[in-house]
Amino acid sequence: MGRAQIGEFEELVLLTVGVLYDDAYAVSIAAELEKQSGRSVAVSAVHKSLYRLEEKGMLNSRLGDPESKRGGKRKRLFNITPYGKKALDESIDLRAKLRNQIPELAFKFNS
Amino acid sequence: MRRPQGIPKWPYAFFKFYCKRSRFEEMHGDLEEYFYQRVERQGMVKARWLYLRDVLRCCQPYAWKTPHIYKNSNIMMFNNYFKTASRSALRNPLSTFINIFGLSIAIGVCVMTYSFMNQSLNTDKFHENKDKVFLATIFADRDGKTNQYGLTPLPLAEHLKEDFANIERVCRIDDHNTVIRLNDQVFYEDIRLVDGEFLEMFTFPLKWGDKSSLYDPNSIILSEEMSDKYFQTENPIGKEVMVIFKSGEKKYFEISGVAEGFPNMTEIDFDFLINYSNIEVAQTNYNPADWAKFIDATLIELNDPTSISSVHSGMKKYLTLQNEVNKDWAIQGFEFVSIDELYLKSSNIKQAISYDDRKPGRMTLPFIAAFMLILACLNYINMAINSIAKRLKEIGVRKVMGADRRLVMIQFLTENVFITLCAMIFGLFLGMTVFMPWFEGISGEQYSIQISDQLFYLFLLGLLLLTGIASGIYPAFYISRFQAVNIFKGKIKLGRKGWLTKTFLGFQLVLACITITAAVVFVQNTNFQMERSWGYDQNHVLYINAPSSEMYEKMKAEMERSPYLETVSGSANHIARNHQISIAETLDRKFEVSEFRVESNYFKTMGIELAAGRFLSNDVKSENKELVVNQTFVKQLELEEPLGFEIKLRDSNYTIVGIMSDLHNSPFGTEIDPMVFSQVSEGGLRFLTASITPGQDIKVYDEMESAWDELYPEIPFDGGLQADIWDGYFTMIGNFARFNKAVASIAVALALLGLYGLMTLNISGRIKELSIRKTLGANLMHLSKIMSKQYLVLTIVSICIGAPLGYFFTMMQLGLVFAYPLPMGAYRVIIPIIILVVSLIAVIITQVVRVGRFNPVKGLRSE
Repeated sequence: MGRAQIGEFEELVLLTVGVLYDDAYAVSIAAELEKQSGRSVAVSAVHKSLYRLEEKGMLNSRLGDPESKRGGKRKRLFNITPYGKKALDESIDLRAKLRNQIPELAFKFNS
Repeated sequence: MRRPQGIPKWPYAFFKFYCKRSRFEEMHGDLEEYFYQRVERQGMVKARWLYLRDVLRCCQPYAWKTPHIYKNSNIMMFNNYFKTASRSALRNPLSTFINIFGLSIAIGVCVMTYSFMNQSLNTDKFHENKDKVFLATIFADRDGKTNQYGLTPLPLAEHLKEDFANIERVCRIDDHNTVIRLNDQVFYEDIRLVDGEFLEMFTFPLKWGDKSSLYDPNSIILSEEMSDKYFQTENPIGKEVMVIFKSGEKKYFEISGVAEGFPNMTEIDFDFLINYSNIEVAQTNYNPADWAKFIDATLIELNDPTSISSVHSGMKKYLTLQNEVNKDWAIQGFEFVSIDELYLKSSNIKQAISYDDRKPGRMTLPFIAAFMLILACLNYINMAINSIAKRLKEIGVRKVMGADRRLVMIQFLTENVFITLCAMIFGLFLGMTVFMPWFEGISGEQYSIQISDQLFYLFLLGLLLLTGIASGIYPAFYISRFQAVNIFKGKIKLGRKGWLTKTFLGFQLVLACITITAAVVFVQNTNFQMERSWGYDQNHVLYINAPSSEMYEKMKAEMERSPYLETVSGSANHIARNHQISIAETLDRKFEVSEFRVESNYFKTMGIELAAGRFLSNDVKSENKELVVNQTFVKQLELEEPLGFEIKLRDSNYTIVGIMSDLHNSPFGTEIDPMVFSQVSEGGLRFLTASITPGQDIKVYDEMESAWDELYPEIPFDGGLQADIWDGYFTMIGNFARFNKAVASIAVALALLGLYGLMTLNISGRIKELSIRKTLGANLMHLSKIMSKQYLVLTIVSICIGAPLGYFFTMMQLGLVFAYPLPMGAYRVIIPIIILVVSLIAVIITQVVRVGRFNPVKGLRSE
């Protein structure tokens, strides 16, 4: 099997799910992303990535308890699977590996 | 699930509509959480708008409900077929275009043919009583041939009504050409004299007025067309119309009804209807019991249509009645034809109220449509087989995944039906917007397709399946045969079956050759007919028809005064306008001849040529019993010593004094009849003829017309230039040529498209070979030789088959329509062949040029 493919936004969502650990659902993920990255995030985009990642097997999900702030509806809570972790690690490793291979000379801008 | 407080109604409903049940709770929970937050922070109004935005943003495939059909594996498979079909169609835009374009042209022609056939076969079938109403026809013997006539003896109707209990209604019809005066306008119009039962037998609903007014002898009913012509959109009921009959009598009628517009499929119709009792006004010395007279039609209506046989067997007694009085026109028998069948039989019934001129169309159009369809299908098959190489892997994968041969075939057939469907939509559009209006222009009739016509949808469905399967079955069969293992091994050698594609292309070329021959010959024939001698000098002759002797005399004086008119002559009949049918008797035979009663200088005015003897003598006063006959007359009577021969005409003996060269009394479509010219009696003069000083034609015509209008403002001027008399006919044969040209263009275009498609596929298959040749120094000449070699033999063979076929086909078609067609010779096929070969070469050259410009490095680098 080839490497697990994830997109840039998907990677961010995957990371945020990990950060929020036990309280990772669409609204909180969107809020966290907004807070951390400073860019506005539509909840529909988060939904899309979450369902896609779940389909790929990188996320697991379960239903939480009903809450009054949600009109008495339950929320879907996500957590990372081992396969998700592997994909994340591979992606970050790849970035780190590439970053390390950049010769110092490439960063000498003022010459 | 009730709508929570504050959430806007419509967005909520929309969300509920598209969202999956399993995800509704969590997703809407998220939306609600946002909503309540925003209500607190930004206020209700803004929150509601933002909720709507979220709902719209979430409307994405991940949230959608899965339609039920996606759960059916068969339908999922078809879904996949559809996807691969559209992908492969888009990958080869050129061949897809050729396929769809070709098929849609063919389908367009089919749609046009359908509307023509539908209209033609359903003519006069909308009458509710069509099965119960019968037209009485007679069989009469003329010159050894028994013909069926739509005329009936005048008193028959009265007798039928009295003698048969099972006849419910009887209706007589007699057509009269009259002058109609309305709002100070005068026109010649045909009036139908009918019994009041006419509107009950036929289903002609009235727009205004009352049907029963037809029983009233002082009422007149108009067709919608006539009402529009004289009154535009106004309701004319109650207005007065003056009618001047041929007898010279005038009578006022009150408009009592206007019919609704007739359907397109109407052959028996009317302009004006008045009650039959007016015949006493319309005809001088009308005698209702005169068996020697005929009327235009007698119709009967039965309660039980099957009892027609009893009426038929009871008709014998009338035969004796009729034949005692009218010996010239001995009737052999009667036959009743129902209105339902009348139109399609009417090409065999002479002088019937229904006239069928669409028979040639019914015989040729379906063949043409079928030809087009075959051409387009062959194109499709060729392209499919040749483009198969690109899809071998796909078939291999499908077979490995468990598709058996049947499934692969179904796949390709579905694909094909899908392409045909695209073509059909385009073809329908093409048929309705291009072909049908064009055909209407040629035939001068209106064609339409009713939205409510169920048969039409059935026809389309049939056409779709037939075309889809006919064009797809062979490719499907061919493709599905390959074994997956061999495909992946690369063992499949394509192009071995070249003979089949070549046969198809050859067949297309043969068809193109036939149609192109027909087109070229028809165009030549049109010119030939235009230049054909009329048998007399039709140029610079003015004729005027004067309805009475008094008018004749006054107009004659006017004409003699004109400086540009010479040899003014009079006649009772006039060539190409009016003749009378007479019976010429020799000792042992009777002949129907066209008789012209003329003054002696008529021959000079009309430039008639004498073959033998002399023209009529100038002596008008004495009882001149001389005849001039035409050559056809002599030939048909087999007279060895024609001059001085005596012929019995109207119970007195006439002597033939001269024989004139044959001339055309009717257009070239019909053969020349035997003609006799006899001395006109003093009171019978109705036509004035004069030769015009060349160059003054239009001026003299205008002068005479205004002179007439001054003399007789009540009567429309009826005259013209002899040379214009057949304009309608020449337009018609010009249209024939145009029709054949269009058919040929389509056929040739399809064949060329086929050749073009094949060549492009062939070249893309051989691109490596051609590239190598180019790099090794092959020049353009060499390349074109290599590329066109395989088509050369094919073209020669196709032309060898197509040219003779086209020759015979065209000769047959010409013989069907023209009595004096263009003389055919083998040389007639030279021009068509040249046209075909030149267009084929043009196609080949475009491909050669393409290869010539092609960079061989690209070709070698690919893959």
